[in-house]
Amino acid sequence: MENKWRFLKEKSAPYLLLTPFVIWFLIFFGYAFIRVLFFSFTDYDLFATPRFVGLSNFQGLFREFLFARALKNSLTYAIIVTTFQTIGALILAVVLNYKIRGIKFFRAAYYMPSVTSSVVITLIFIWLFQRKGVINYLLTLFAQYRLLIWVFLIFFLISQTLLVLKEKWRQRPVSIFEPSYVVLSLLLAVVITFLLKTGGFISILTVQPLETIWLNTRETTPNWAGSLAFPRPLAAIMFLNIWTTIPTFMLLYLAGLQDIPLSLYQAAEVDGASTVQKFWYVTVPQLRHITFLVVTMGLISTLQMFDQVAIIGGQAPQESIITLAYYVYVTMFPRSAIAEVGMASAAALVLAVLTLIIVVIQQRVTGERRYKSE
Amino acid sequence: MKTRLLWGIMFLVLIISSVSQAATEIRIAGFGGNDQNIVEELIARFVETELAAQGVKIIYEPIADDYPRYILNALSAGTAADLFYMDIFWAKNVIKTGAVEPLDSYLQDSAVLSKDDIVTSLLEGFTVDGSLYGIPKDFNSLALFYNKDLFDIAGVEYPNSEDTWESLEQKLEKVVAIDQNFIGMALQPDFARMGALAYANGWEPFVGNETNLLAPEFKEAFAVYTDLKAKGLGLMPADIGQGWGGGAFATGNTATCLEGAWIIGFLRDQAPNLNYDATLLPKSTATGERGNFIFTVAWGINADSQNKELTFKVLEALTSPAAQQWVLERGLAIPSRKSLVDNPYFENETKEAQANKIVFIGAATGQVKPFSFKEYGGKWIDPINAALAEVMSGQSTVEQALATAQKRLDEDVMK
Repeated sequence: MENKWRFLKEKSAPYLLLTPFVIWFLIFFGYAFIRVLFFSFTDYDLFATPRFVGLSNFQGLFREFLFARALKNSLTYAIIVTTFQTIGALILAVVLNYKIRGIKFFRAAYYMPSVTSSVVITLIFIWLFQRKGVINYLLTLFAQYRLLIWVFLIFFLISQTLLVLKEKWRQRPVSIFEPSYVVLSLLLAVVITFLLKTGGFISILTVQPLETIWLNTRETTPNWAGSLAFPRPLAAIMFLNIWTTIPTFMLLYLAGLQDIPLSLYQAAEVDGASTVQKFWYVTVPQLRHITFLVVTMGLISTLQMFDQVAIIGGQAPQESIITLAYYVYVTMFPRSAIAEVGMASAAALVLAVLTLIIVVIQQRVTGERRYKSE
Repeated sequence: MKTRLLWGIMFLVLIISSVSQAATEIRIAGFGGNDQNIVEELIARFVETELAAQGVKIIYEPIADDYPRYILNALSAGTAADLFYMDIFWAKNVIKTGAVEPLDSYLQDSAVLSKDDIVTSLLEGFTVDGSLYGIPKDFNSLALFYNKDLFDIAGVEYPNSEDTWESLEQKLEKVVAIDQNFIGMALQPDFARMGALAYANGWEPFVGNETNLLAPEFKEAFAVYTDLKAKGLGLMPADIGQGWGGGAFATGNTATCLEGAWIIGFLRDQAPNLNYDATLLPKSTATGERGNFIFTVAWGINADSQNKELTFKVLEALTSPAAQQWVLERGLAIPSRKSLVDNPYFENETKEAQANKIVFIGAATGQVKPFSFKEYGGKWIDPINAALAEVMSGQSTVEQALATAQKRLDEDVMK
């Protein structure tokens, strides 16, 4: 009897501990999900009794121009942003994993974009992306000085190559980025560029100030992509989002890097692996499980991106920046004050199913590769 | 024994009723920002003094952002305020849900407020199936505000009520020729400005259930407005980092803008020394007519309110002649009461009083239409605004932009 009681207690403990979360989950997710499921088959405006309309909300969605735009925008956005933020986070993590003086400061500094409120960052970006804003100003500066910059780069490369070749010719071991030579080449390139400039051989180009409209436009970019090109305001949001999410994922990669045994690198060095080879054949495969996590989280968060679109909202044409999550919102609360709850619910379900499908596909693809490599 | 019990019960009832009376709260919802100060002062001056004896406590709930969303959610959830703002832009959609109390029976019993007291043209936007659901608290229309100093520097005659768009353009040309930093007109890419030109041309937003943006009347107005930008006579406020025409006007470099009386309070705070004046919108060059919008916000009563009678009393106090006079003199809006039409305030020589007078006259001259677009609301306006922004930022021609906008209206909005 005593034993049985203890057995029961032991078995029920985990469930008891789970209860608070399960209750929370049932109320805010389970109940809400069932309501959305129900509303997606009805015509409902928040006031009159919901009227059952079958699948017509879903049919209506796929006939709507704005929804098609939202779907396309969301998919392009998810794919591009996830790709860039994963690669960026990995590179940044590897760089910040070096043991140099003051590394803690750099880690903290690079993490700033992620801990700043996304509303604040978006507002700052709206400002930067103005027609006479900082971004256009920097691009204009670049266009003006591009000749000087090219000359400088070319002379730097020539000098560095010559210096390194000289050492190699003398059969001395030297890295391509030998620091003392880099400094020397930089100085040399600066002097040559300066002399050419004062000598009047090259000059600052006079160009029209660039006035690219980043937000209030329906133009698409890049030009060569044809129908796959995405609206320029969306590109601005992509840029903003990549910049703010890289540090978050960098943190995951940094944690992963700490777990890679040093002996692997030492073994690779013994085998004569270069820095690039070590990165490619040791670091990347060892971080595969982190990459899987980063890509999954990235896909989910980008597919459901809402806040940045909502804030940029008034600055750009709706159809250029609308994403699925934002579509749900504007259908639910349009400016005309007629809530289309049915349509919004249907769109929310489409978004949920889409997210699920994409994540499952991603899991299949990367999961399989992981299995093979082991 | 029995009498004692009776006395006891009566005593209890008395206490309970006095307690509950002391706790009678009337909640009012409206916009945040400037409106909060105004309404709170209105309540303190005109409402609480009247209703203090009845133990009414009034709470103003300012909604900072996205007011239509708040009111829709709150009404459907049963948590809405007793008395709330309804913008003519979407009022009918909310009224049709049945969540707003019809006011006819209250008005019949009222001693101080009747339908006939209110400017008739304002009531239509709040009337559904013959019943009135909102009492307009004030109204606004567009006027041409101009910076006198810039015209003086250029030695150009001020814009006046005889101007057509053509003659105004000639004046602006001379102003911008003086200094390259001068901007002729702040051109908000918004139907709420440009539409006045279309109405002046005789354009009707809805013929049957159709909207024709390709009609010559609309196209011509659209071209006049966007050409101002192309000719270098105007800029979009966003181009100089301003959110609206008033912001651009307050910088002191902008010669003219099309705004309503709402700009007066803004200029008082942001540019107190700006030497401005207002005149009626220019006439259409083609028809010689004027067009304009009526913007108005009304008070509506929550159909689920526990204290409708009291709420109506609050409404009466908020729209009383004394309260409206006070609002007018603060330069905030034009009163909706007919009796205030011949107001001595309008004869004041101050720039603010004169501007208010122009806005008031503007609402009754020429082709004036309420700023509401059937049940479509913002969805109907968005494609037109997008077209304006596109043409004025040089990304599209008038023909292309209007064709796109028409397509959006036909296929998505008015299907």
